[in-house]
Amino acid sequence: MEKADTGGMGQDTILDIVDVRKRYGASQALKGVSLRVQRGEFVALVGPSGCGKTTLLKQIAGFEYPDGGRIAIEGQDMAGVPASERPTSMVFQKLALFPHMTIAQNIGFPLKLRARPADEIARKVREMVDLMYLKPEYLDRFPQQLSGGEQQRVALARSMISAPKLLLLDEPLSALDVKLKKILQAELKRLHRSLGVTFVHVTHDLEEAMMLADRICVMRAGEALQVGRPNDIYYRPADSFVAGFIGETNLLDVEVIEVRPDAVRYRAGDITDADGLLPRALAADAIAPGPAKLMVRPELLAMAKNGEPYPSAITAEITETFGKGGAIQFRAVTPGGQPVVVEVPGTSHWPARLGDTVRLGWHKRDIYLLQERA
Amino acid sequence: MIGEGEPKGWRQPELWAKALPSVALQTLFFLAPLLMTVLLTFQETRSFMLQWAWSLKTWSDIFSRPHYWTILWHTLWMSALCVALCVLISLPVAYALATRLQSMSGHVKVLITFAFLTDATLKTFGWVLFLDQKGAANFLLERIGFPPAMIGFLYTDWATLLGMVYNLLAFTIFTIYLSIANIDRSLILAAYDAGASKWRAFWEVTLPLSRPGIWTGSVLVFLLSVGVFLEPKVLGGGKSPMSAELIRQTFETRVNWPLGAALTIVLMVTAVFVILLFNRVYSLRRHGAAA
Repeated sequence: MEKADTGGMGQDTILDIVDVRKRYGASQALKGVSLRVQRGEFVALVGPSGCGKTTLLKQIAGFEYPDGGRIAIEGQDMAGVPASERPTSMVFQKLALFPHMTIAQNIGFPLKLRARPADEIARKVREMVDLMYLKPEYLDRFPQQLSGGEQQRVALARSMISAPKLLLLDEPLSALDVKLKKILQAELKRLHRSLGVTFVHVTHDLEEAMMLADRICVMRAGEALQVGRPNDIYYRPADSFVAGFIGETNLLDVEVIEVRPDAVRYRAGDITDADGLLPRALAADAIAPGPAKLMVRPELLAMAKNGEPYPSAITAEITETFGKGGAIQFRAVTPGGQPVVVEVPGTSHWPARLGDTVRLGWHKRDIYLLQERA
Repeated sequence: MIGEGEPKGWRQPELWAKALPSVALQTLFFLAPLLMTVLLTFQETRSFMLQWAWSLKTWSDIFSRPHYWTILWHTLWMSALCVALCVLISLPVAYALATRLQSMSGHVKVLITFAFLTDATLKTFGWVLFLDQKGAANFLLERIGFPPAMIGFLYTDWATLLGMVYNLLAFTIFTIYLSIANIDRSLILAAYDAGASKWRAFWEVTLPLSRPGIWTGSVLVFLLSVGVFLEPKVLGGGKSPMSAELIRQTFETRVNWPLGAALTIVLMVTAVFVILLFNRVYSLRRHGAAA
């Protein structure tokens, strides 16, 4: 299992970000971020607002220059290279379609700047319009005459027409309603697959990042906390912030006693555990003796019937139940006062009721030991 | 303006009642004087006295004497030059205020406003002192070794133009500044991203999007410069009068009210015609871009 992935060692690195720092006045927006992106990858930068993800994107696009560190695209150092000369293209959050230009002029603008002949521009604009499923009769209209989703497609077409090496997306779907968002997410995935262009997508929507990206970089307060495949981020988060940021989870108090090369020994307050021993791979890289959290996702907890053996389990009293249609969620509390969330597949017969005391068990492979970031 | 409501609104008596004060004011202070001016042009004067006689004498006079039209043509030319200079000077100033000097723009705007609020007569005479053969400018130039009376353009059309541009510049600076400041920054970034240099981004995005400000400022400056009389008199030395000065003379010195009124109407109609013409060209260009 790949952990704390910082990108492959392969030759085909298209974007190499090394220890990039950026300061705005008194606040340090980027505190030394490193990230390596492979050609053709779809990488999502996620994090709460103010985490520096958009700042990082601006440094890649060349709208701002970092105070320190290095950004290289295709092995070429981008220091001092203005946005207009970088092989990148940005899709803006507010789309930034030129209101005084028609759709055709908007899409063809990058080629016009490159002084391409008019018939070539017209042909390429047609191709982009077809690719983005836009109606040809829109070409003579102005951006404000189109709906939000259509404007989105125009913005994508404009970014793609000059065949950029790197497409940068700055939360372009955040202003759309849920239904339209789903459609355009699928569209992005399709474009990425059919064009083979490398995508760097900034979003605060975790679900979107999990759906679209090959790899996710979780950021907080100007730092990249973890880079990895969506599944690794979800089931093997580097610390309790990443674990809590991505979906709902249980973080149970435990104490790490000993870290050995092959295993980690821990003691659990409320938890009954046969041996208190976990394979080393099921603990965060930086784990050290001391207070820690045992993470288990709600859907990986099982409600154990009386007498049914589980290698490790916890007893809890159910305090709330939610029917979610496809699933049933129970909120419970342990005798030690720790909250636990369990989610089981929905059935017509509910396995437990409010006030019941249940045993919640799990398989060892489904848990992960982690700590707060120092 | 108020009179042109939506058609269905006309049937509501309530709207009439609401519009009445405004309509009355407009009629009293705007339409009535205009109507009187028009009526005046059909009268005559005899030995400095207004004769209430309906005739076309004044109009036939105007259309048969090229002198008036030369002055009108000269006025329009000067105004057009003034508009062009104001826009050309204001563009970089407004652009700098809106982009480069954002931190200082508050102070700069206050300074411009102060300069603008200072009485135009004062400022115009100030220029005379500065530009005079023995004025400050020539004194300084002589001091650093230039030949005497280097600057000798006081009492020419150029001095008039200088005064006009100086007094009216604030209008274009502010209208263009507002237009540029309202342009979404990400549009400029999008232009850079698409491969535009700074100059190209200005030409392709900033300039077209500041057109409303350029247009508004131009109309204001044009209308005001068609009406200037101070600058041609003080800085131009009254050697080549413009229409407003001609009208003033006709009323005050020659005491020929019908002629003065007719010249006023001619100036007004011409100015409005010029603006409508340019408006037409402007909207045609916009539509042309759409096609």
